[in-house]
Amino acid sequence: MTLRIVSLCLFFSVQNLLCLWAQSPLAQTVDFTCINCLPADALVQLSRVSGVTIAFSDRFFEQCPPVTIRANGEPIKRVLELVSGCSKVAFKQVGNQIVFYRRVQKRTLSGFVEDAETGERLIGASIKVLTEDNVGVSSNEFGFFSVKLPEGDHSLLGTYVGYRPERMEVSINTDRIIHVKLTTNTKLQEVVIPAYSAQEEKDRKSGSPTYLNMNALRKIPMPGGETDLLRLAALEPGIQTGTDGLGGLHVRGGNADQNLFLLDDVPVYSPSHALGLFSIFNPAMVSSVRLWKGDFPARYGGRASSVLDVRTREGNMNRYKAQVSTGLFASSAVVEGPIVKGKGSFLLGGRFTYFEPWVQFFSSKGNLLTFSGDAVRYKFYDSNLKLNYTLSDKDRLYGSIYYGGDLFKNNFGQAYSDVKGYITDRSVLATDWGNSIAALRWNHLMRENLFTNTTLRYSRFFYQSRLGFSSDILYPDGKTFQLSNYGQLYQTLIRDWSWKTDFTFYVSKSLTLRWGVAYTTHNFQPGALSANFLQSGQFQGNVDSLASILLNNEQLNAVEAEAYCDAEWDLAPHLRLEAGVHGSVFQVKSANYRVAQPRLRLRYSGEKGWSEWLGFHKTAQNLHQIGTFNISLPFELWVPSTRKVPPEKVWQLSAGAGFKHPKWRFQAELYDKKFERVLTFISAGDALFTGGAVDASGWEDRIAIGTGKSRGLEIMVEKTAGKTTGSLVYTLASSNRRFADINSGRTFPLRYDRTHDLKLCLHRHIFKWLEADLVWGIATGNPITLTGVKFRHESVEGEVEREVFFYTEVNGYRLPNYHRLDLALNGRFNTGRIAHEIQLGVYNAYNRANPFYLYVDAGSRIKGNAIQFTLLPLLPVFRYEIKF
Amino acid sequence: MRTFLLLPLCMAFLLFARCAREVIIDLPEVAPKIVAVCHFTEGQHFRANITLSQPVNVGDDPDQPDAVDATLAINGAFYDVLYRVKGEGNTYYWRSHQQKLAQTGVDYSFVVRVPGYPTVQATSRIPLHQPIDPVVIKAGDVVVESLPDGSKELRIPLELRLNQLPASERYFAFNLTHDTEVYESFSPPVLDYSKEQLPTNFLADGRTISLLHNIPEPVVLIDEKYWADDRRALYLIARIPYNPQTDRPRRMYITWRTLSKEFYRYHLSLSRQGANLPLNEPDAVFNNMAGGLGNFSGYSVRIDTVDIPGF
Repeated sequence: MTLRIVSLCLFFSVQNLLCLWAQSPLAQTVDFTCINCLPADALVQLSRVSGVTIAFSDRFFEQCPPVTIRANGEPIKRVLELVSGCSKVAFKQVGNQIVFYRRVQKRTLSGFVEDAETGERLIGASIKVLTEDNVGVSSNEFGFFSVKLPEGDHSLLGTYVGYRPERMEVSINTDRIIHVKLTTNTKLQEVVIPAYSAQEEKDRKSGSPTYLNMNALRKIPMPGGETDLLRLAALEPGIQTGTDGLGGLHVRGGNADQNLFLLDDVPVYSPSHALGLFSIFNPAMVSSVRLWKGDFPARYGGRASSVLDVRTREGNMNRYKAQVSTGLFASSAVVEGPIVKGKGSFLLGGRFTYFEPWVQFFSSKGNLLTFSGDAVRYKFYDSNLKLNYTLSDKDRLYGSIYYGGDLFKNNFGQAYSDVKGYITDRSVLATDWGNSIAALRWNHLMRENLFTNTTLRYSRFFYQSRLGFSSDILYPDGKTFQLSNYGQLYQTLIRDWSWKTDFTFYVSKSLTLRWGVAYTTHNFQPGALSANFLQSGQFQGNVDSLASILLNNEQLNAVEAEAYCDAEWDLAPHLRLEAGVHGSVFQVKSANYRVAQPRLRLRYSGEKGWSEWLGFHKTAQNLHQIGTFNISLPFELWVPSTRKVPPEKVWQLSAGAGFKHPKWRFQAELYDKKFERVLTFISAGDALFTGGAVDASGWEDRIAIGTGKSRGLEIMVEKTAGKTTGSLVYTLASSNRRFADINSGRTFPLRYDRTHDLKLCLHRHIFKWLEADLVWGIATGNPITLTGVKFRHESVEGEVEREVFFYTEVNGYRLPNYHRLDLALNGRFNTGRIAHEIQLGVYNAYNRANPFYLYVDAGSRIKGNAIQFTLLPLLPVFRYEIKF
Repeated sequence: MRTFLLLPLCMAFLLFARCAREVIIDLPEVAPKIVAVCHFTEGQHFRANITLSQPVNVGDDPDQPDAVDATLAINGAFYDVLYRVKGEGNTYYWRSHQQKLAQTGVDYSFVVRVPGYPTVQATSRIPLHQPIDPVVIKAGDVVVESLPDGSKELRIPLELRLNQLPASERYFAFNLTHDTEVYESFSPPVLDYSKEQLPTNFLADGRTISLLHNIPEPVVLIDEKYWADDRRALYLIARIPYNPQTDRPRRMYITWRTLSKEFYRYHLSLSRQGANLPLNEPDAVFNNMAGGLGNFSGYSVRIDTVDIPGF
């Protein structure tokens, strides 16, 4: 019965449609003959014969020859096609009329935005089509843009922050590739122009990503005058660090290892020097930095909390230039120039430190850096090389290398008389760690609107620590004897080779598709600590013999295949959808993990400066840096997911709103983040001293798997134009963790949880040549686990006893609030062709003793007190830089 | 110009400013609590150390309360009252009476009352012993290593295999000791004296070592994660150094404890404490003494003796 009713409905529907079609003027049949008629005349005659009004312009058929038409009972539509076939016109029914209109052919205009002087391609530059309403595009990571436009003459306006707007006329009759060359605005301006490019403006409306302001980077005061990207990133809302940067970045309650640091698209495993005080990114090499706080697009994967995408400059294609910078802690130099003029360039940079006087100074005060304070040596270094060569308009090759590391050595020696003889104690602690990174990239334009980028990547991080202690006695009779010999060796290594291809397809002015694949082989050597305490007459296991243990250490090989698809779609004039999915397959030993990560972001940009957005992102990571739950240091072990160590997964829901005024900007965002799986390392250092390890396996069984939650509100008010600019950033947040194996299974706060965090940055143009900068921050103190009580445990027969320190809940005590003021004056002037920049200032201007940690010293016998250690007191800021 | 002259002067001053310091912070005073630590095993008396907790910075021995009422109950019914016994120095401990020995499978409750302090109480039992198979040392497996100072070291592979792996509560501990006889001469053999119950060091693979914990008891705690994947045996290489001119290692003692959950969790949490060093990552101490601090827990123990072949 139902089938009959449906069939009947279908029958009537089809019949109605046919009736409507039959009544359409286009479907009306006509007998029409016209021999050697001009198309315009033919249309007039047809209108007369059929009685249907046909609207057209004579100009549509100016180029057409006469036509001959013989139609007997043909539909009008067919006749019209025959008449107008010679011209690029189309027709449609409007009411009872038939209207002709010019058929517009769309063509693809694509190209590269470049610096006119250096030839460097500009990332995020804006190309606005003045002849079309609401049409504009931005250049991608490689300076490429593509837009579909109607055939004809168009007027384009290219803009980029710090460059003069460039207007150019383009005639488009076919798909075209152009080079938009912009000239730097060298004129010193007294009134500050907005500090963001068009793409930044667009992205800032949606709250993501954040573009780190490279102009601000050079101006804000930092310890010793050493400009640092990560410190700048830490001024953004929702980003925490440990005290004075130590402990890495913690984005919206994430762990330090959950940040993906990319240097020219290559993952960096240890992005900092000096335990996190300075980053490895030489600012003189950097072109742009983008930061996503968990809401990153599907093209990024491998980490769960954030992405910091650092792109280096390309180098001057036309002339040789150099830049030398010196500060209190380090000096750097960058040279650049053409390999083949106009075709290829190089950029070579290096940075080295002269920390030792400072470390000696710190160590003489018994600071954390040294503990013992004897014969301490520390330095770090960076070197970068980038090459690029233009093969053709459609092909370009890039090569880049980074090599850098840290070296720390502490020698200690003492000699004293004993009743038995003369005893000499010696100890040495030598550690070194660093990154090696290389990339070979090929940009290729497959079609005018299809851009591809293929990269071969290499990234290696290593850490090695050697600790040795020996004690010898010299007897009165001249004989010597070794009393003890202690050796400890710790090595860890991760090495990646990967290949990645990305496609960007500019489908239309409202839709851009990106997709890509990547394949990575990871090689891990998760060398755990190996140690032996040796007394005379026992097994001799000094540092050298321990090296053989680590040589036999388990090496893990893993492969990871990734694919993604990402769409940026303007659903309506003010409504934009960014949706994608990132999938990964990770295989190590017998474990195989497949994770699909959907990413979704919807943005509405109102006309009066308001915008709102909503995001939902799932992220996952298969690599883990197994730090402890209390403090994370940059050189901790990187390990893969294994059968016992599953991937970490994070879900983030965020919603925000922003308002943009020509001189002001306001933004507020709420987020709720669920750490479905988070890892930490359970320390049990004493386990190693009960015997001796014959290899360094076992790390998997010391990992605790837990969950976490983080939620917060981020508010930012920013003044973007005028003589005084700056931002006020406030974050209200809460982050916690829960592990069955820790704190008796109870939830505890994350070590880097700060309930309130307020940051103020101000920048003032005083004169044309002088600017002043101020940074002030105040935040709730970090939680810490503290003891105030102890008791004694004694075994039944009294063989063993130990003082038991009864601690608070894990991270159950809050350190005092953190606050700090930094001030700097930035001057610049030119002498001939040399540009000078000088920065003078103070870091921690009122010498706030911010707590790095509290320590209740059981030996101090000071009742009820704890000792607070401070890392960075008031420090001078000085940097002098020349460019020529 | 004056500004430019002042700036270097300021910087020079800053360079010589003190860069790191220790700041004393007042912590809230924590009132002392009763601390009772009592581990008990089958056929032994209950013996408890009862002290008062003290601030961390105090270096003296912990105070022991005078008027202590320490009682034991079985299933809520009174069992014994512990009496005070003088220990070494000025210390005391509390012990059960002559016939009141601990038994397996019985739930004991321990209550300590001290005037002026909250009552402290806890419950535990001695778990059913999970034995290991008899350990066999094969002469062919024993390796003798020469040490640089002329002495030797025996390397003895040991397999401590659980007779039956329990489905849950895999809480165990072990200890290795050995006897070495010291001779005046070997031909004819003239025994000088015996060194008994010497602690025996051992080697193991990294995984095993990382899952063994040194605790303030004469045993090594085995992390329950060790028994994952239905692993039933612990593989160790005992290391016994000796002087070949005078010494003969004779036998080994293998202590095997099956632990109650309270014993295991308390000692596992102690092993994660470190030693109150700066920057350590302490875990909260497991505490089952409601109203106070400490631990009341049972365990069962067996000791196997194995002769060392070849001597």
